[in-house]
Amino acid sequence: MIATWYGIVSLMLIVYVALDGRNFGAGMLHWFVARTPEERRQVVAAIGPLWSWHEVWLVGFGGTLVAVFPRLMASAFAGYYLALFLILWCLILRGISLEVGGHINDRLWQGFWDFVFVFSNFLLAIFFGAAAGNLVRGVPLDAQGNFSMAFFTDFNVRGYVGLLDWYTVSVALFSAVILAAHGATYLTLKTEGPVHDRSTMWGKYLWAAVAPLFLAISVESWVVRPDLPGHAIHDPFCWLGLLVAIVSTIMLISGLSTHREVRAFLGSNGLLVGLLATGAGAIFPVMLYSTLAPENSLTAYAVAANPRALHIASIWWPMSFVLATTYFVFISLRYAGKVRLKRDTQGFY
Amino acid sequence: MNPSNLADPAFWSRLQFAFTLTYHYLFPQLTMGLAWFLVYWKWRALRTGDEKYNQAVRFWAKIFGLNFAVGVVTGIPMEFQFGTNWADFTRYAGGVIGQTLAMEGMFAFFLESAFVGALIWGEKRLGPRYHFLAAVGVALGSWLSGYFILVTNAFMQHPVGFQIEANGSLGIASLRTYLLNPWAWVQFLHNQMAALVTGSFVVTAVGAFYTLRRRHPIQARRYLRGGTLTALIASVLVAFPTGDQQAKMVGRHQPVTLAAMEGRFVGGPVAGVAVVGQPNIAARRLENSIEVPGALSFLAYGTFQSYVHGLEEYPEDAWPDNIELLYYSFHVMITLGTIFILLMAYAGFQNWRGQLESSTMLLWVLMLAFPFPYIANTLGWMTAELGRQPWLVYGLFHTRDGYSKVVSNGDTIFTLIGFAGLYFVLGLLFLFLVGREIAHGPDEEVVASRGEESLV
Repeated sequence: MIATWYGIVSLMLIVYVALDGRNFGAGMLHWFVARTPEERRQVVAAIGPLWSWHEVWLVGFGGTLVAVFPRLMASAFAGYYLALFLILWCLILRGISLEVGGHINDRLWQGFWDFVFVFSNFLLAIFFGAAAGNLVRGVPLDAQGNFSMAFFTDFNVRGYVGLLDWYTVSVALFSAVILAAHGATYLTLKTEGPVHDRSTMWGKYLWAAVAPLFLAISVESWVVRPDLPGHAIHDPFCWLGLLVAIVSTIMLISGLSTHREVRAFLGSNGLLVGLLATGAGAIFPVMLYSTLAPENSLTAYAVAANPRALHIASIWWPMSFVLATTYFVFISLRYAGKVRLKRDTQGFY
Repeated sequence: MNPSNLADPAFWSRLQFAFTLTYHYLFPQLTMGLAWFLVYWKWRALRTGDEKYNQAVRFWAKIFGLNFAVGVVTGIPMEFQFGTNWADFTRYAGGVIGQTLAMEGMFAFFLESAFVGALIWGEKRLGPRYHFLAAVGVALGSWLSGYFILVTNAFMQHPVGFQIEANGSLGIASLRTYLLNPWAWVQFLHNQMAALVTGSFVVTAVGAFYTLRRRHPIQARRYLRGGTLTALIASVLVAFPTGDQQAKMVGRHQPVTLAAMEGRFVGGPVAGVAVVGQPNIAARRLENSIEVPGALSFLAYGTFQSYVHGLEEYPEDAWPDNIELLYYSFHVMITLGTIFILLMAYAGFQNWRGQLESSTMLLWVLMLAFPFPYIANTLGWMTAELGRQPWLVYGLFHTRDGYSKVVSNGDTIFTLIGFAGLYFVLGLLFLFLVGREIAHGPDEEVVASRGEESLV
């Protein structure tokens, strides 16, 4: 039961990353793939009507985390205090720049909100990457299950670590690159004309950069947590995640090289999901690893709510998930195909 | 806890939560109220084919969209603060309240946010029927989210359906009892009616504004009539039966809170409601008070002779920790609620006489009245939350025990300052853009002449 809920909570976060990751990526590339105001509207309209739906996965994840693993939520969120608020502020700026940018047809107004949009998306990709790095590396949890962390200490990965060190910074950079590649693939699918062509080009270079960076990150992860690969080998979920990642990579490569945009985008999503699922499987059952003493680590079993809470949630959660998926399919079908500014205009009221 | 002690970490976490929540709730209250106007207009457009209703929806959807966006981005920090600033509360009660926090995300927000983009920009993509359904989805989602949040709050006010676990924390015992908490239902209906008051006052104000400026006459008439009628019904429902039941609920389950709300230090029968008066806690009396005799006894317990408890019957550490603020919040809310009913009753009377649009004075008042429901809503929540003190979960868990011990004051003050700055800018931006949309108005002429080419 607890393992299943660990899977569900991870799934929600992973789906969030895959969905909002495309927006982070498209946002980061906004300046580079779109030059004229019209082109920039195209990028915004590609993300536009669904960004809040994507962001809701983060809220759903947060809520489910409180319901199922309340003590993890308490320890982790209080410990990551400043980092989380920076993420929240960037999410505020990102959402606002999307919404208000289209209200006034004016060079300065748009230039300003384009800047906010690019900047906040870039920071979000970096912060979420650093957060993922923190999950793998661990945090300075004490025996009571509490920690409080500075932004940086000595940039080492053991003992009293900070949010940023050589490992988490490299995961953050990797995250920015792979999400930018993901966003470029999405924009290739959704746009036409110059934006489409530039996105295709950016996608090619960025995916090419992902491969060596991924190798580097894998080696680094092994250095930081030598125990993980041994654990992952015995976990069927890691194998499943890896399988998804490999199949998706093949889809992605074939999609990119034959200009089958849907296939490439599915591959891009699958690759993110597969990699993150492998990571989530590898660290299980530890949800928060202690860099001070492994026995301080918080496992899913130690932080879960009572069995009754899990039982209740397992009745309503699948229903809500089916409903959410239905809305998603409905809306996605309506918004399928390329963005057409005349129909999908988002702004200049 | 001594709130005047500025070194107290609980104070800063409370202030941050209060500030971010008060600010956040300025937006959903309009969303929840306005959503049903959009549903109604969309439905009328569908049934009658009258394009004027679609114009109304297009215009209000822009304001709705801005409002919704600010509501979403300011709402996400609320959920996170349960963990960041109130970790010990989450450890204690997360096993119960997590259920509704998760349900809100899963059932309400997914529904709401899937359709909101389609409602605002998707008229052409969706076609009339699905566009109507999108409006319904957004309205249902926003009310559902209100319900789950009010169940969460009701648990803090009047905990039900829980059990105490071996480690001392709370776990859920019965989801049904928890979701059907009587406090939640009363508070939900009271709150939703109050949101409808905000929505209808805003619609009315815009209608009055255009009428006074002699612009968009057809639209203005619809906003004015629909707005004032809804406002009258909702204002009455806020007071009776929902507000009345809410007061009775407080009298039954939180008698010390009721005493503090009324500034009553000495208990007794034939308790009055103070129309004016300032509580003096040190002297333990209500100063300069003018009371309606017996009114409180009647309102809280059903007869004029009923005994109403006084604060002196309870130890001081069981008193809400800021009685003055609680007292004023409650009293100003009641006063505003009464004024809303009188104002909208008069507007309804003028409408019935066919003179609503020619009563210049009344239109001025209606135009300028829209901020007051926001104030009344805020004060209502202040009454609920200050009245709950010193408890975080009433009778079970103190507020002073709930904050995150690992977070320093330096961190909390830093983020509070950050929120203050960010939200100030956000507020300016919101007012500027909404003001711009209202000044521009529902653009009937342009849409009609440009047809398919127009940028709606």
